[in-house]
Amino acid sequence: MGSLRDKYCIVGVGETEYSRQSARSTRAMAVEAVRNAMRDAGLGRDGVDGMMSYQSGDSTWANWVAPDLGIRLNFYMDVFGGGSSTEALIGLAMGAIEAGMCHTVAIFRSMNGYSDFRIGGTGARAAQPVRGLDLAQVPFGMRSAGQNFAPTFMRHMYEYGTTSEQVAHVRVAHSKHASQNPKAFLKDRVTVADVLASRWICKPLHLLDCCLETDNATALIVTGAERARDLRRRPVYILGVAGRVNKPRTDFHWAHGPITRVAGYHARDIVFGQAGITPDDVDVTGSYDAFTFTTMLQLEEYGFCKKGEGGQYVSSGIIELGGRRPNNTSGSHLCEGYTHGISMVIENVRQLRGQVDDYCPGWEDGKHSYDYSPGKCRQVKDARITMNLGWAMPPTGSALIMRN
Amino acid sequence: MASVEYRGMNLVIPENDSEWREHFKLARSSHRLMLRSCKACGLMRYPPSHGCPWCMSLDWEWRPVSGRGHIYSYEVVHHAIQPGFKEWTPYAVVLVELDEQRGRPTPDEALRVIANLVTPEFRPEPEQNVAIGKRVRVVFQDLAPDFALPQFTLTDEPPEGRAWRFPG
Repeated sequence: MGSLRDKYCIVGVGETEYSRQSARSTRAMAVEAVRNAMRDAGLGRDGVDGMMSYQSGDSTWANWVAPDLGIRLNFYMDVFGGGSSTEALIGLAMGAIEAGMCHTVAIFRSMNGYSDFRIGGTGARAAQPVRGLDLAQVPFGMRSAGQNFAPTFMRHMYEYGTTSEQVAHVRVAHSKHASQNPKAFLKDRVTVADVLASRWICKPLHLLDCCLETDNATALIVTGAERARDLRRRPVYILGVAGRVNKPRTDFHWAHGPITRVAGYHARDIVFGQAGITPDDVDVTGSYDAFTFTTMLQLEEYGFCKKGEGGQYVSSGIIELGGRRPNNTSGSHLCEGYTHGISMVIENVRQLRGQVDDYCPGWEDGKHSYDYSPGKCRQVKDARITMNLGWAMPPTGSALIMRN
Repeated sequence: MASVEYRGMNLVIPENDSEWREHFKLARSSHRLMLRSCKACGLMRYPPSHGCPWCMSLDWEWRPVSGRGHIYSYEVVHHAIQPGFKEWTPYAVVLVELDEQRGRPTPDEALRVIANLVTPEFRPEPEQNVAIGKRVRVVFQDLAPDFALPQFTLTDEPPEGRAWRFPG
């Protein structure tokens, strides 16, 4: 398999506020997020000529957003999908540039995920007719993401002895990180006891095992390495990417076990092979945290610990700021806001620049205290290599490895 | 086109839905669980589809199975998403592994089906009775003259392996 290692970079990142009452259109939010990413990169309207987005019938379109910023596009594409789309679209953007179709691509996700199309499946989503493959699950009261994934989590507890206490540490770690993030929707730190005392949603999931629903737009910009070196920020190089890799039988993945295995099992050789590194070389992970369990399952599937030992790994302190390999340093979907995965890539770009937007007064100049007490710093010292683990469902995932 | 109202949901099966148009109809008329079986290699599959996942043949026929199996995994929904399920909470969704074709054609494969675990009166089975390994059999919830929903209920057989219940 070929590799474009070090030939492409992420040069700009940006977002809107994370809220539950945006009171504006997905188009308006996307325009703001893309503009922020362009300003971050030091790009004017002629600096971007490609645009991509992903959505699930709940958002605006690239060719409506670009004109609001005076951008004339040579390439655009809006794809259907949620989680795991970010990494896949970054790979497709590299391909479009490699093919000579365009030179710089902005990728966005814009969603009123709380005030309009609730990600949890209530409201407009619950009222939709049930047809096609949905007939295999939805008539049985299995519609939301949590309901769709819970038998995977339950079987993991049965096979490996994983406990609620262990996975609660994912929420604890991400809430700790969010307390250093001025943008985070939830900034309060929580304890394992808080997670276990929160109400049941769908056993084995407590409320605090589940992510937020928020309104926001998020964006990043991909271009070639040569162009990247002339831009405003330190370029962040793409070492490897895998997009929407599947397990067998994604129509009904329960048919082909082990059901505790997730798509990372099939993605890991692709992405590590391109990058030429091993999990040991990774300093920071960004693992899709729709639920505490999804982070655990992916970390073990990509080889950061042995299969089945994810519970021990996430409860060992390794994934917390100050630990060996912090995970989701922004607080991400559990605490920062829900973006279908793009915000974890944005955070890792900032980590690799040394310019994480924490409470350190000199963060923009790369000056950090590395004091991880509440309301202080969330920059990882000397972060060289980051990895994103994108999740759509147990049988579909993506991955991205970057360096500075 | 079949259109069935159930728990506030509109279950829709247009005539050209060639995956599903016979599935619930056969369940209603035969009260047996019928699966698609490949005419070339003989392996069965679920959900209903047109291609054989193992040999790519497009030729298939309906074949009845015993409808017996065990709970392979499950969840208990306390916070219903669909309004029509609120009065049912807490309810169990079970992943049932059927007795036929277990571990074939490869060890990790099996015929598995999603359903609710219900009492003979089609009420949710109390959650203290739900466990991985427990034996179950299919029952049919008739929703319309040409539509039945296959559900599962506990049997008094000994469990498959160890019975395991979520401790929380």
